[in-house]
Amino acid sequence: METIRIGDFSFQLDLTKPLYEQVLQQIRYSVARGEVALGTKLPSVRELAQNLKINPNTVMRAYQELDRDHLIETRRGQGTFITDNLKIVEQIRQNLAYEAARSFITAMKELGMDVHTAKSLIEEGDWT
Amino acid sequence: MSFIVETEDLCKRYGDKMALDRLTLRLLQGQVTGLLGPNGAGKSTLLKAIVGLLQPSSGKIEVFGRKPHWSVNARIAYLPDRAQWYKYQTVESALHYGERVFPNFNLARAQRMAEQMGLTPSDSVAALSKGLEARLHLILCLAREAELVLLDEPFSGIDLVSREHIIQSIIDSTLEQHQTILITTHEIHEAESIFDHVIFLENGKLILEGETEVLRSEQGSIESIYRGLYR
Repeated sequence: METIRIGDFSFQLDLTKPLYEQVLQQIRYSVARGEVALGTKLPSVRELAQNLKINPNTVMRAYQELDRDHLIETRRGQGTFITDNLKIVEQIRQNLAYEAARSFITAMKELGMDVHTAKSLIEEGDWT
Repeated sequence: MSFIVETEDLCKRYGDKMALDRLTLRLLQGQVTGLLGPNGAGKSTLLKAIVGLLQPSSGKIEVFGRKPHWSVNARIAYLPDRAQWYKYQTVESALHYGERVFPNFNLARAQRMAEQMGLTPSDSVAALSKGLEARLHLILCLAREAELVLLDEPFSGIDLVSREHIIQSIIDSTLEQHQTILITTHEIHEAESIFDHVIFLENGKLILEGETEVLRSEQGSIESIYRGLYR
């Protein structure tokens, strides 16, 4: 999959899954990982749609959901920006960590691992 | 929600062959719809029926709430399969000609698109490569401030870079003019990310339709769904 960089944001779209969810999730990750600074201006709907070659409605839908989460805010006449509220970003980071843990647990269960084995795998893992 | 095109049990018969077979569908305002299917599925026939170029054998078709008629066609920009343009013209004179003959033709937009798409105004149409000529046809179509745009195989036989330019123009067009766009194509991999909605035809019948994002979450990419349907 091709990585497309737009400013500090990077995207990798997989056509086998809903695109709006990927745009949404990848913006969340860019912010939570600290790749994108608080208060950064987002690409315009046109810029993102053009660069990713996707329908502008898809971008607008993703932006609407980020707006509902207060991760982004639109300032009239200036554009759309990542929030400068650290609390909101921390909340999003926690949510993403929670989701990642849940999918790890699901994968372990599917492999028939119990909680002790899973825990020891985590502890033995490379955390550096 | 308003429907720009609505058909009900639409049939078109050529001798023994049903080119359209009880086709019932609706195009919603402002959406980009991909009309997909193998050759002979009825895609071009449906486009021709929308602009009144052919008379249905039976069933109903309404465009902007009326029967297809030349007077409705001022609101439709139609790019036919195998479009041709006057070879003696230059790019610039083709755009000026477009302004004279097409209703609501936005010359400034056409010139801007020509520049973005790498067309040189002084170039002769006869000397354009296939890809550049296809870009010119698309510009002549998308520069019209038409509410409905019908593109029949806009990517066929066109090089990769031209295809990308065409896709970007379509994206701009939906943003600037809130047009309803119907596209037939075999280049599903490249085009599927711009569709809001897709319709699959086979032997004149509708075999599947839906919102692209819903189909993706349920079944995967539009390309893989296509392969599954027509294998």
